[in-house]
Amino acid sequence: MADSYSRDSEPTTRTLLRRVLDTADPRTPRRPRSARTDVQRALLQTPSSRRLRSQTKTTARRCSNRARSVDRLAHVQASGHLEEQTPRTLLKNILLTAPESSILMPESVVKPVLAPQVVQASRRESGRGSLELQLPELEPPTTLAPGLLALGRRKQRLRLSVFQQGVDLGLPPSQEPHGNADASSLTSSLNLTFATPLQTQSVKRPGLARRPPTRRAVDVGTLLQDLRDTSLALAPPDTVLEDTQPFSQPLVGRSASVHHSLPCRSHSGAKDVERAASRRTWSSGLGLQNNGAGKAAQLLAGKVEEVDALAMGFPNISSNISGEDGVEPLQNGVGEEAEERMEESLREVEKAAEAQGSARAEELEGHIEVTEAEGSWGAVEAKEPEGSSGDEDTSGRTASPELASSTPEFLRARRLQFLEPAPPPSTAVLPSEPPEPLLARLPPKPRIPGSRPRQDPYKTGLNHYAKLFSFYAKMPMEKKAVEMVEKCLDKYFQHLCDDLEVFAAHAGRKTVRPEDLELLMRRQGLVSDQVSLHVLVERHLPLEYRQQLIPCAFSGNTVFPAQ
Amino acid sequence: MENPRLKAAVHYTVGCLCEEVASDKEMQFSKQTIAAISEVTFQQCENFAKDLEMFARHAKRSTINTEDVKLLARRSNSLLKYITEKNEDIAQFNLERKAKKKKKLEDENKNSVEPAEAGVVESEN
Repeated sequence: MADSYSRDSEPTTRTLLRRVLDTADPRTPRRPRSARTDVQRALLQTPSSRRLRSQTKTTARRCSNRARSVDRLAHVQASGHLEEQTPRTLLKNILLTAPESSILMPESVVKPVLAPQVVQASRRESGRGSLELQLPELEPPTTLAPGLLALGRRKQRLRLSVFQQGVDLGLPPSQEPHGNADASSLTSSLNLTFATPLQTQSVKRPGLARRPPTRRAVDVGTLLQDLRDTSLALAPPDTVLEDTQPFSQPLVGRSASVHHSLPCRSHSGAKDVERAASRRTWSSGLGLQNNGAGKAAQLLAGKVEEVDALAMGFPNISSNISGEDGVEPLQNGVGEEAEERMEESLREVEKAAEAQGSARAEELEGHIEVTEAEGSWGAVEAKEPEGSSGDEDTSGRTASPELASSTPEFLRARRLQFLEPAPPPSTAVLPSEPPEPLLARLPPKPRIPGSRPRQDPYKTGLNHYAKLFSFYAKMPMEKKAVEMVEKCLDKYFQHLCDDLEVFAAHAGRKTVRPEDLELLMRRQGLVSDQVSLHVLVERHLPLEYRQQLIPCAFSGNTVFPAQ
Repeated sequence: MENPRLKAAVHYTVGCLCEEVASDKEMQFSKQTIAAISEVTFQQCENFAKDLEMFARHAKRSTINTEDVKLLARRSNSLLKYITEKNEDIAQFNLERKAKKKKKLEDENKNSVEPAEAGVVESEN
């Protein structure tokens, strides 16, 4: 590497001298005294040699000429002085006078080493970084032939030789074959190799390494529990009662008009059943769901009505499947506004159900079902509960698929909530179904194409969270307990969505934005004056989300002064 | 205990209210209960204030509005209803006031005109 560096970029004295050495005859190693005597002569000659050196540095391709000129000069000088004036001695003198280099060469190859040492010294002088100098200094004492140390005058070279010995012994991991004649280049390259790996490893962004990969899975549960605790603590008891307001729409009343609303009931019944069934089998095939629903219905349905409805519902289901195709094109245009609209229309449904019979509710619900089905179709068979993966949630949400993969979990909660508004009005409509908490929450809505997958992901989502809950409980949980947890989660998500809707409306918007969520988190106590949202993002979310959520994180440190 | 006098005032008010309720329901309140209630009330007031400020800021306003208060009270339906009714009453009252004021102004104008005319007439006379 040093070789290439020297040869490609700078034709320094080193390259020239190397060629000289290569071409020149090997001579006997010089003795220190002779070296000393040479030094004096070298001192006289150093200016000229330095001149030569500088000249050779500047020129690019005339190395060989220069080398020859140096050689000739050396020879001339040598002839002019004592017999020991050779290029090698010249170079040796340069080395002696030059600042110390720390490339070590084995003593046995001093002669050829000296020249390259000189070369290297000069090269180092000429402006190499201090990298090479550093590393050998780090390893001076490793393996020392005491004889080497004893030589006083040769300390400079000793260090080099010591280092080279250490190198030879294979101390550092990255080893190149230590040649002898080529040791100079090799040692310099060795030095380089020592330097560079250290640097590259440290250059990599430390920030990327600081998060354990499992963080996401962990924090869903804990975050959820924290949120739940705080929100439950905040919600006054009134709300619990308010939610279970007896909308006086008893099932009896509905069943009276059952024939009229039979499609509704059947749809709802089948849906109820499917929700229960989703717990066991989440399959993308509608047919599978139907069958599962059918069996589950018989197992779970405590209400005769529902069973009857289910029996009647099957033919309707099959007809609905064909109708689903019409729903799909609608899915494209669904945005977040649709959520709000649907929530509002669901409220209307509540009132409608209260006020009148099922016919009108059917209409409204049918309309809502269509719009909901869009989202649910988007939710699709692939829709999984929030906690699992944002990507699949993305596929579910038509609003901003690209965002879902990057939206943090709490935003994803909002997405799932899209489905939640459906249950509450249904819950209201079915007040007399307390014993089956699952079915109690299921809406007796008219069955429309695409609604079944909607029910399934809803249930699956809560089931997923309940499982997380039981995992973090670290002890086995009763089924009833799991169901209660699901119920609480359901209420929690309802509240969440209501709040978000209200916040958005409060700001005069129809779209829920992250600011609304931040406000919600503030109310929940997660974000406070001490803890800002960015801190939470940094703490709990993977680094990729952080870059997307925190503007300054991806601004690239560009600061725009206020103008 | 940032504001001891304020807290003491709250405590006193809570005590008075509790006494009223006690005499109404013929059930006594212990001192600790009253203290606890006053502490909770104080904390809640702080929370309300912060929330109201947040809501106002969320709506990009610098003044707390009745809308903010309604948003705060939305959890409890009865409270929300009460507040909304009160709000409507106040709004109506303000409207009536405005109407009265307008009328008053008009009357004053007329009155000022009439005495002037009367004065002129008298002076003429």
